[in-house]
Amino acid sequence: MSFEKPIQILVAEDDEDDKLLILKAFERTLPKEKIACVEDGEALLKYLKHAAPYDDPEKYPKPDIILLDLNMPRKDGREALAEIKGCEDLKSIPVIIFTTSNSADDIKVTYKMGSSSYITKPGSFEELVKVTEEIENYWSKIVLLPA
Amino acid sequence: MKNNQNPSIRQVKIYSIVTLILIIIGSGISYWTADRIEFYTHAVMHTSEVLQRTDQLYANILERETNIRGYVLTGNEDFLSLYKQSKVDAELLLNQLQGLTMDHQSQQNNIEELRGLINSRVRTFEAAIEHIDKNGNLNGFLNPSKVNDALIGYKMIKDIVLRINEVENDLFRERNQVLINNINALPLIVALISLFSITIGLVTFFSIYQYNKAQITANREITLFQEKLRDQIKLLDDSNKELEQFAYVASHDLQEPLRKITAFSDLLNEQYADKLQGDGNLYLERITAAAVRMRRLITDLLEYSRAGRVSIEQVKPVKLSKVISELLEDFELVIKDKSAKITTGKLPKVKGTDTEYRQVFQNLISNSLKFAKSDINPDISITSQKADQALISEFPTLDKKVNYHLIKLVDNGIGFEKEYADRIFSIFQRLHGKKEYEGTGIGLSITRKIIEKNGGVIFADSNPGKGATFNILLPFIEG
Repeated sequence: MSFEKPIQILVAEDDEDDKLLILKAFERTLPKEKIACVEDGEALLKYLKHAAPYDDPEKYPKPDIILLDLNMPRKDGREALAEIKGCEDLKSIPVIIFTTSNSADDIKVTYKMGSSSYITKPGSFEELVKVTEEIENYWSKIVLLPA
Repeated sequence: MKNNQNPSIRQVKIYSIVTLILIIIGSGISYWTADRIEFYTHAVMHTSEVLQRTDQLYANILERETNIRGYVLTGNEDFLSLYKQSKVDAELLLNQLQGLTMDHQSQQNNIEELRGLINSRVRTFEAAIEHIDKNGNLNGFLNPSKVNDALIGYKMIKDIVLRINEVENDLFRERNQVLINNINALPLIVALISLFSITIGLVTFFSIYQYNKAQITANREITLFQEKLRDQIKLLDDSNKELEQFAYVASHDLQEPLRKITAFSDLLNEQYADKLQGDGNLYLERITAAAVRMRRLITDLLEYSRAGRVSIEQVKPVKLSKVISELLEDFELVIKDKSAKITTGKLPKVKGTDTEYRQVFQNLISNSLKFAKSDINPDISITSQKADQALISEFPTLDKKVNYHLIKLVDNGIGFEKEYADRIFSIFQRLHGKKEYEGTGIGLSITRKIIEKNGGVIFADSNPGKGATFNILLPFIEG
């Protein structure tokens, strides 16, 4: 198990605080370089399509999973999800919705659109660490991902 | 208002009835007058017939006299046979006259007298004829006394015929006058009644017109009022929804920074607790505790704003007995722990959703368990009965035409002062310190919101140390 390759995670989150907290939580179990961040849906799509400024594949590797916030400026999570799932090259990447919203509508709609999980942001840092550990564990050790 | 000036339907009815009565009276009078006219027309005709017969009779008498004279002078038998014929004619005319004047005694007397005079003349004629038959002539038959008798007889006959005519003429004049009077009066009577009927009809029409006009105005006012009411209800509805939306959004957005306060104080605590000096750790603890409490408040506020927000399709008859028995299973541990006794009577079906009533009774039961006395075991009973009209009329929001269930939850807990009976249902209102009893004070306000949304009311009775009673009024449902 320990020889599993650590997964590459891309976080789309516009809130600086949340971004910091998510990074801090993931750093408990993953090396810093395995986690990348973008601040909105537009940047996310640019990153995935290796468009400038994300044209260096070394610096910006293709993610194994995406953590997607729903409420973001410019292009929000729903639009970004639709675009990813509509793109032949990108649709195989699991997208985990990671948001403050717990509206039944959002949950249903995003699953229908092809998201893999729906997680509401936990209230405390302790809980957040539990969640990131679970994510990391599940996607790197329990399930198999496309190469 | 204006309505007081409107003729009532009763007034219109009275007008109509009066008009009808007048028309009936008018018809009656017209008929009666027509009947009179017919009667008098008949009478006039009758008079002229009597006159005609009398004239004929008089002519007959003269004719007979002539015939007799002719016979006496010439001895011609033809005169005699004409004389005989006129005798029969006279008899017939007399009988006819008698028949025509049946209703008039003096005429009858006159006719009888006439008949007597004629007969006396006839007797004289018969005697003369007999004399001629016997002697061949009238010699020795006539004498001055007989001549005198004949003259007197004629005069009397003439007199009596004139009298009969006069009486009949008087009668004719009199009846004719009555007939003329009647004919003259008829148009006047008809005109008067018509005028009266038309007046009443106009008054009725005008009243109805006025009434209709007032009615139309009133209807328009009602429609306007209804529209206004609908608008206001919509406005209220909208603002209610907006308020709920606001509460939802506000509490949702409030959670954002709060989550971060908690998370960063967690991080601070985790990584720098040992580096904090003096009261630093205590302050950090306080920050965390306050954030946790605020989080709880916001969660409750969210729950409150969501309570009762169900779509109409979800609303159905809810069996309270089922909801409560399921709920009691959830409470099993607490009940055992507190040695509590919870009894339920026969409970009705009410309108709403299972989740709502689960929430209602969860809040009420846990409230009663929470505020139990420390020295005796909690005893809670839930019963239902039909609410009486006096109770229903105490609440303006309830419909007096509808039957209500009165569901009572009675406990033997610490109770509360009467003055707080309303306050306990207000959001975040607490009667006790946070340290004595935990909770934010949201439960009963959610309960009230749900009950009110389903067309009911909830109120509490209590005395300190005497337990509390929660009363719920909910409308009957079909089936």
